[in-house]
Amino acid sequence: MKSNIKNVLNYTLIKISLIPLNLWIISSLIFLLLRIAPGDPIDAILGSGADQEARELMRIKLGLNQSIEIQYVNYIKNLINFNLGESLSNQEPVIQIIRNALPATIELGLFSILVAIFIGFPLGYMGLKNKNKKYDYFSRIIGISSYAIPPFWGAMMMQLIFSVILRVLPIGGRFPITEIPHDITGFFILDSILNYDLNAFKGAAYHLILPSLTLGFLLSGIFSRSLRLNLEKSYKSDYIDAAICRGIDQKNILLNYAFPNALIPIFTITGFAIASLAGGALLIEVTFSWPGLALKLQEAILQRDYNLVQGIVIVTSILIILINLLIDIVIAFFDPRIKY
Amino acid sequence: MHQLNYLKRAVSIIFTFITISSLYSCKKKINPSQNITIASSGKIESIDPARANTMKTYQLLNALGDTLYELNNEGELIPKLAASKPIISKDKLKISIMLKKNILFHDGTPFDSSSMKFTIKRFQNIGTLNYILNKKIKSIETPTKEILIINLNHPSSSIEGLLTSINLTPISPNFYKDHFDKFLNNNFIGTGKYKLKRFSNEIQVLSPNTSYWNNKPKNNGINFIGYNSSSTLYGAFISKQVDVLLSNSIEDTLRYKLNLLNKKNDIQESKSKPIEISFISLRTNKIPLNNIHMRLAIAKSLNRELIINKVSFNLRTLSTSLIPLILKNGNSVSWPDFDPKESIRIFKEQGYCNGNIFNLPLTYRSNVPTDKLIAFYWQQSVKSEMKDCFSISINGVESTTIYKNLSKGIYPAVILDWTGTYSDPEAYLSPLLSCNKFIRNNCLKGESVFSGSFWASEKVEKLFKESENLYGFQRLDKLLEIEKIASKSLPYIPIWTSSQKAWSQNYISKPIFNGAGIINMSELFKNEK
Repeated sequence: MKSNIKNVLNYTLIKISLIPLNLWIISSLIFLLLRIAPGDPIDAILGSGADQEARELMRIKLGLNQSIEIQYVNYIKNLINFNLGESLSNQEPVIQIIRNALPATIELGLFSILVAIFIGFPLGYMGLKNKNKKYDYFSRIIGISSYAIPPFWGAMMMQLIFSVILRVLPIGGRFPITEIPHDITGFFILDSILNYDLNAFKGAAYHLILPSLTLGFLLSGIFSRSLRLNLEKSYKSDYIDAAICRGIDQKNILLNYAFPNALIPIFTITGFAIASLAGGALLIEVTFSWPGLALKLQEAILQRDYNLVQGIVIVTSILIILINLLIDIVIAFFDPRIKY
Repeated sequence: MHQLNYLKRAVSIIFTFITISSLYSCKKKINPSQNITIASSGKIESIDPARANTMKTYQLLNALGDTLYELNNEGELIPKLAASKPIISKDKLKISIMLKKNILFHDGTPFDSSSMKFTIKRFQNIGTLNYILNKKIKSIETPTKEILIINLNHPSSSIEGLLTSINLTPISPNFYKDHFDKFLNNNFIGTGKYKLKRFSNEIQVLSPNTSYWNNKPKNNGINFIGYNSSSTLYGAFISKQVDVLLSNSIEDTLRYKLNLLNKKNDIQESKSKPIEISFISLRTNKIPLNNIHMRLAIAKSLNRELIINKVSFNLRTLSTSLIPLILKNGNSVSWPDFDPKESIRIFKEQGYCNGNIFNLPLTYRSNVPTDKLIAFYWQQSVKSEMKDCFSISINGVESTTIYKNLSKGIYPAVILDWTGTYSDPEAYLSPLLSCNKFIRNNCLKGESVFSGSFWASEKVEKLFKESENLYGFQRLDKLLEIEKIASKSLPYIPIWTSSQKAWSQNYISKPIFNGAGIINMSELFKNEK
């Protein structure tokens, strides 16, 4: 056990030491791709009616008149100093823009994964329990639908049902217009709890229900399918046969033998799901006007706001790398068979 | 065992019931505000007038601040913070403006000529659109607190129109002293009817300015909210989560649905005078479009009526003009009308038809749904009317890429639109037609390069210069002459003009637009009934 902890520590240190290299590759790629892509931030800022002189002045002001090499060196220098620069379009520090938008995306992502687990796990388990029966078919249809439904369409249907027809939930936004959110951490649910503000909590929660239900449903298929497959695999294992022979009841077998073993691959899938959320949440954020990072990234790309795009990609990459590292560590602790 | 199953079912039914009833309990609370909630598309990145360049920001700044002058619905210059119309010196190089007295900024400091000077200087210094001003103004004098004198580098009649620009909304020098050379994106201190109570990119809350110098707002305040998609805007309005829907970028199918609801008196619809023009820019510096006959044949193949009917359900106004009618007292300039037979005749004259089909590559902005439909219906119309002579191949490119490539002359024909940065005919003609350096009719450097036409005319440049020395109808005549030359030379083909639109619930007073396409939020009120 001790040597495994040591190995995990070593593995973690190696992974952490590789982060700068990963980030350098990612940041260089995004720098290059943005410059290769057609379009000009000057057009996005000044519009197409500006004269050439105004364009040149703006180019000088933003430092875009310098050669690509100089721009790249400055960019890397700033990155080493943890400086992501200022947004080209509104001159705000990129880190501040990310700090405002990131909690919205994380909050939506976390609740969506909870919803996905809440829908996916029972569906997967009941499907396996009632194999090739009506319930199994039902769970499979739901699972496949969640993959197949285009996110924007799913989001619009949810809006239509709950906001337009039933009028029980707000159609978009993150917080009621009439109230000012407590902004301590940027996570409105958490902030309202920290302030013991029930109204703020209700307001934030009601705005979170529709987007997290939609995104959660879309992700639930991954969880239901993977739980079903891994549980089935677990049930076919020798240790389950041994447990049955020892006379252990079904509930205990499920909770103490089959489920923990089936969960290990699901941890890995959760990592992928979180990573895919970074891009997959975009359409949900657009449809529900959820002021998250994906929406900011889309706007920044449209405006060719180089600094903001670079900043968002780098921060998202760091998050994904760290989450995957965390999942690797968790798996190593939970599964003694895994050696690093 | 059966009892347990029943228990489980009972628990799940109770749980479902509690969930549904708790959701229904919130039904009435979705829009509980006493304020009037106005929804619009997109978000506001910055509330700084020096940075403002979107209609939505102009709308908000109009409620929070006052300009020196405003353009009314008839296109007249109406003094707001100015006490009277500007006085122009004989040599036309000095503009004197008398300012109103006893006006306070939201921070309690007085508005005077030095605060106006501060505002203009700051805009010249950091304003994103400062190019509209910088070449015109030489210096600013403030002999007294009530008199502002603007000295010009050369006579500029368009300066009057510029004084209505929301980018020049006066700001408190006291509050902005640390932001003379940088934007203040999330706060605003002006003289307007409302004060900014809360600002985020998505939501802005305005409360009435109780010490306003003129008529107080008729409502308790405004919630201004931005949604990103047309369907969300429409859904929010239909479900009465918002009181007023204000958007020019909402999809045409949804505009049509709203129009039908208006006809049934379920909602109210208001619109501004058309101020946005959509047009096709033709690259005139390369063959075959350097040939005026080819441009004429193309112009005559454009079936505007069909396009307006199919794309906008007749909700946009057919246009054969580059200047919105409101800015030229209804004077129309005749651009070629749809005439397929004449178009075929010209194509034949130019050696096309009978197996030699002229193909026009037409580029449209892929992120603008109406552009795609315009391109598609024009293509199909040409296919059915003149397939032996003329065809159109369409290609969608994202707008930022198009703007970047326009000046490189990549696109032979491209669909664009334009709204003047201030309310003046020159703000429509100059960005499309003026040229600083040219050889014959080819523009090498200038605005028409950036609009993709590369067209130039010595006479047009002369008329632009002459118009700077004139005012009123004499000036308008010069500008109309420029438009007339453009209508004969056809570097652009106008398609339609669009109005700003607003839809309101029946329990709200009908929104009223000013001449710049902005609604007066302070006039909105909830009907008691």
